[in-house]
Amino acid sequence: MSDQTSHIRGRFHGHHLPVAGSKEEPLYAIGARFETPDALVHAVDRLRSEGVSLYECFTPYPVHGLAEAMRLPKSLLAFLVLGGGVSAVLIALSMELIPSCVIYPLVVDGKPLNLDALPQYIPIVVALTIMIGAVTAVVGMIALGGMPRWNNPMFAWDLFAKDASRGFFLAVEARDRKFSTSALTELLHELGAGDITAIHQEAPEGK
Amino acid sequence: MSTPSTVTTNETVDPGAPDLSVLERPPQVLNHRGPLWVTDAVCSIVEGKTPLWWYAAITFTGSFAAIGGACILYMICTGVGVWGSNSPCFWAWDITNFIFWVSMAHAGSLISALLFLTRQKWSLSISRAAEAMTVFAIVCAGVYPAIHIGRVWFVWFLFPVPNSYGMWPNFSSPLLWDVFAVTSYLTVSSLFWFAGMVPDLAVLRDRATTKIRKFAYGIASLGWLGTARQWRHFEMMYVVLAGLTSVLVVTVTSIVASDCATSVVPGWHATIFPFYFMVGAVYSGCAAVLTLLLPLRLIYPQLRDLITPSQIDKVCKLLLLMGSCVGYVYVFELFNAWYSANPFERGAFWERFTGSSAWYAITCLSINLTVPQLFWFKAVRRCLPLVFLLAILCNVGMWFERFMIVTSTLTHDFLPSSWKDFHPTLVDILTATGTLGIFFTLFLLFIRFVPIMSMNELKAALPGSQPDHSNHSQPSTGEAH
Repeated sequence: MSDQTSHIRGRFHGHHLPVAGSKEEPLYAIGARFETPDALVHAVDRLRSEGVSLYECFTPYPVHGLAEAMRLPKSLLAFLVLGGGVSAVLIALSMELIPSCVIYPLVVDGKPLNLDALPQYIPIVVALTIMIGAVTAVVGMIALGGMPRWNNPMFAWDLFAKDASRGFFLAVEARDRKFSTSALTELLHELGAGDITAIHQEAPEGK
Repeated sequence: MSTPSTVTTNETVDPGAPDLSVLERPPQVLNHRGPLWVTDAVCSIVEGKTPLWWYAAITFTGSFAAIGGACILYMICTGVGVWGSNSPCFWAWDITNFIFWVSMAHAGSLISALLFLTRQKWSLSISRAAEAMTVFAIVCAGVYPAIHIGRVWFVWFLFPVPNSYGMWPNFSSPLLWDVFAVTSYLTVSSLFWFAGMVPDLAVLRDRATTKIRKFAYGIASLGWLGTARQWRHFEMMYVVLAGLTSVLVVTVTSIVASDCATSVVPGWHATIFPFYFMVGAVYSGCAAVLTLLLPLRLIYPQLRDLITPSQIDKVCKLLLLMGSCVGYVYVFELFNAWYSANPFERGAFWERFTGSSAWYAITCLSINLTVPQLFWFKAVRRCLPLVFLLAILCNVGMWFERFMIVTSTLTHDFLPSSWKDFHPTLVDILTATGTLGIFFTLFLLFIRFVPIMSMNELKAALPGSQPDHSNHSQPSTGEAH
């Protein structure tokens, strides 16, 4: 591995990077592929210490410790679900109590309908809380994860777009304050990355 | 059975040292397969040429589903009189099949949610298929409640919809609780199933070679990229959904059981009913999981390293546990009928086993009390064709149990002069086989078009798939190897 890296380093000199997408379009990011999750986590640590902040990691499965290395905040999703669940309880109780006690009291066998008979309202509260909680969880996951988004500049990179499950990818965005193609390429090589590519945006259709 | 022999062999090898190998967990994926192999093995089922057996199978199951659909249409156009249900047995195969299907769904939730939460990693490779089974079984169950009301166009009365009649449903009725329980069960399981599949659909999108596939999987995977942020939210969502679904494992059948238990009909009016339905549910569901997975393993040889004999063994043990609980409830129910000193309760059970319902009550008891007990023996659990046959038998037993609970009770109510047996009509039978057709058709579509195993979970659990930095905290793992 290290032999190969030093060999490639001589060849690239940080300039003649393979290009993905259309060269006429602006540079989106520098992409790199790592063979192991270890190498990726290590690379993230290093990038952070170099002050790079606009980067993203792409992995085929959740890698333990990666989010911590990236200093990602804890997911807000649990709080969203809690909010969804609490509002579901209120919705369910008002949906049951307002018709039963106010609009349309349906007395069966003389059974009470008010809060003395709270247990009979609980099953629907449970069912609705779980349902609305689950919907919040899924919608929240989609929204917080920036989805649905069917195109992405990363798809211009064939290696990534064709088989992202074949490695651990890293992309440093060109918008980053510390972005420098040559320095980054050197650094990524040093960290053991392969397939370092300059990802340009794709040319708009019809061009 | 085999444990003593294992111990003796170990003792002869090394009498002094304790055998630590028994503590080692069997691997989730056999033959030291890597992550790329897992991706290829699972994706190849979807990406390969559609096999001939698949066309044959779906034609077969699809025709049953179509006949079932035609029967439902005929029933709607004519009325519920085309079924054999009549006074005093107004609930018969409709509710029997409803309970049968909704119960079967529960093992899927248990395997995919409860076992996930309790970190039972052995269930990883079967959880997706089990969850699919859950969704399809609820779809089959959902066929009945809507149509059994007779006038299907009034089905919206079941939901609290503000309407010009100023009329609202009875919120204290278990039948209405049922509507909410089943609706929420279908919604939550479908979401759990689909959301867990998004990363795997993205893998299929990336690997797609044709434009149609790329488009379809592209839409379905919602633009999933597998970024660290997405995984962070995904993992949180998965835990939350697993937690919510685990609650449903207990609540849904309990509410369904309340349909019976809150009525004052002898044979139904018992507090053990929610537990009774729940254990029966997981029992029949485990049997259904085995019925579906064993043929899959036979048809796709690459799955043999993923659906391992050790997993089958564990599902069999779960089946044994739940089957034993079912057996306990049968005995307890009889004891309770005697101990209650209630002549109607005693009469109902006496009539159940000696009257016209005796043949199916005895079939049910003889299957469910004996078949699961065979799984005490390791030799039985390891003989896969036998496991398959016994699993089918368990579900036959469970169907008879549902039939016994619903029908034998209703046909023998308080007034002997009104007793009348239930006889299914052809429409009853074809609708029931129709739901079987719907179930298997959906399952065939599932194995053909979506990844049947959670590739991301499997890959994340493979040895060496996680960074080594945690290694210093677990020296014991190093010793074990």
